[in-house]
Amino acid sequence: MTSRQLKTVSSFVEGAPPGELADVIADIKALTVSSPNLISQLGPAFEKYNEEQFATVKLPGSSDHVVISSHNSLGDGRYYDAESSSSFAFDHSTQKASAVQSYLLESSQLDLVKSLSKLLGSHVNEHYPNASYGVYPIEDDSKIALVVVANKYSPNNFWNGRWRSLYIFSPSNSSLSGSIKVDVHYYEDGNVRLLTTTPISSSVSSSSASTILREIAVAEKKYQEEINKGFSILSEGAFKGLRRQLPITRQKIEWDKIAGYRLGQDIGGGSARN
Amino acid sequence: MSEVDQFDSALDLLRRLDPKHTAQHLDSLISLVPSLTEDLLSSVDQPLTIARCKKSGRDYLLCDYNRDGDSYRSPWSGEFETPSGGTGAGGVDDQGNNDGAGEGAVPSERVRKMEIRANEAFDVYRELYYEGGVSSVYFWNLDDGFAGVVLLKKVATPSGKSEGTGKSEGTWDSIHVFESVDRARQAHYKLTSTVILHLSTDNDALGEMELSGNMTRQIETDMAVDDDTSHIANIGKLIEDMELRMRNLLQEVYFGKAKDVVGDLRSMGMLTEANKDKATHQEMINSMKR
Repeated sequence: MTSRQLKTVSSFVEGAPPGELADVIADIKALTVSSPNLISQLGPAFEKYNEEQFATVKLPGSSDHVVISSHNSLGDGRYYDAESSSSFAFDHSTQKASAVQSYLLESSQLDLVKSLSKLLGSHVNEHYPNASYGVYPIEDDSKIALVVVANKYSPNNFWNGRWRSLYIFSPSNSSLSGSIKVDVHYYEDGNVRLLTTTPISSSVSSSSASTILREIAVAEKKYQEEINKGFSILSEGAFKGLRRQLPITRQKIEWDKIAGYRLGQDIGGGSARN
Repeated sequence: MSEVDQFDSALDLLRRLDPKHTAQHLDSLISLVPSLTEDLLSSVDQPLTIARCKKSGRDYLLCDYNRDGDSYRSPWSGEFETPSGGTGAGGVDDQGNNDGAGEGAVPSERVRKMEIRANEAFDVYRELYYEGGVSSVYFWNLDDGFAGVVLLKKVATPSGKSEGTGKSEGTWDSIHVFESVDRARQAHYKLTSTVILHLSTDNDALGEMELSGNMTRQIETDMAVDDDTSHIANIGKLIEDMELRMRNLLQEVYFGKAKDVVGDLRSMGMLTEANKDKATHQEMINSMKR
């Protein structure tokens, strides 16, 4: 396997739609039978995919899904979950957790992290039927990352979807930055993809957990409204402008008389049909 | 692992990766498994390229069916043109070799006559339904009939109403491949249609939003044939009905299904309220049952 081939295959991994990583890996395996060692070389691509997509994993003996991200990485393939005070090893290619140990989060912002986690938890319960979340102190305790990921997979009906929110709160200047991304894949007799992304950038009036969560709730609600508006913009704008449902005459073409259309007034809005 | 399995895996992968970049994924797959090149290029539909006919000055569309090596046959002149200029005979060379669609790319005199009429008919169709864009029809001979491809392309450049409704842009590519097999006083038609539709919009409040994809549908049917003119009318009707169906389907998937999934991922309203309402409702039903 050359480095160019590895790059190609890595880009396939990074492009896997929500919930379809295993299918993409199966396809890659079939396409690279001549290089059976390939999968073992894809570690960095899997890691990038899982951390960027906020992969979720069930810890052994628990029913909750916890988030995988660069913000709760301990290095060496281990991640922590503050909620259950545990750390675990994560296999990036199989997306399975193991070797759970107890882990106590140490942070000068511990109280704020705990309050944010509690409030983010109730926010997620109010708006996401199926989501995981996490709050993590980052960059030497100088900032706090809030992560939400919601997945809905329906492979039997050929669609899958993912919503990702990332907020970075910076206490030093009370700013909130980050992004919200939505990814929906529909693939029955075709391949249709919705991809949206918006940057988050605002300031909060105080560093209290409730103020921060209020700002997040407002930003998410506004964004969801904008996406719904976006659907109308695309439907009423470009889609309508591309192809009419029926000709301006509101009648299907009389193909037996098609040769005469040029001579008549049918083109360009004429209504003559006699 | 046989080549058939690899081909299926390649198609499965193309069905999963971002459809906006199908051409790029196709290149990657070909470099990864060169033996799949021909099969992939002939079965994966890509957005159509526009060229200008040197003889008539009219635009036409390029695809594998009017290609011979580096040159393409214009439906308006019937002649092969290379992108770099000049025209060639196309089809089969002195040694009997051909490249691309080759011999098949040059229809017989009778089929070319039908092709000319079909191009005129779909030019009208294009104007009535697309109010712009480019259309091209290519026919070729079969042992027991003929086959063809009807291509339509329209690009919607960024535009939007002034009332802050936002600008949007998009591209529509229709690729209809059909076969017509002669039977007594009728013909058996087999039609495979693909529409590639890309839509996007962006603004400060929304950020970026893209809806891209392709969908394919097939039908087979028998229709009465009196003479060659009937073929044009039959194919026209089939494609007109198919495009109407596919437009409705695309509308449903792009603006119905995709939007519903977003709503399934995140609820605008409070879920506890919704659940409370549901519980109250259930209680009411239960009390009525008693």
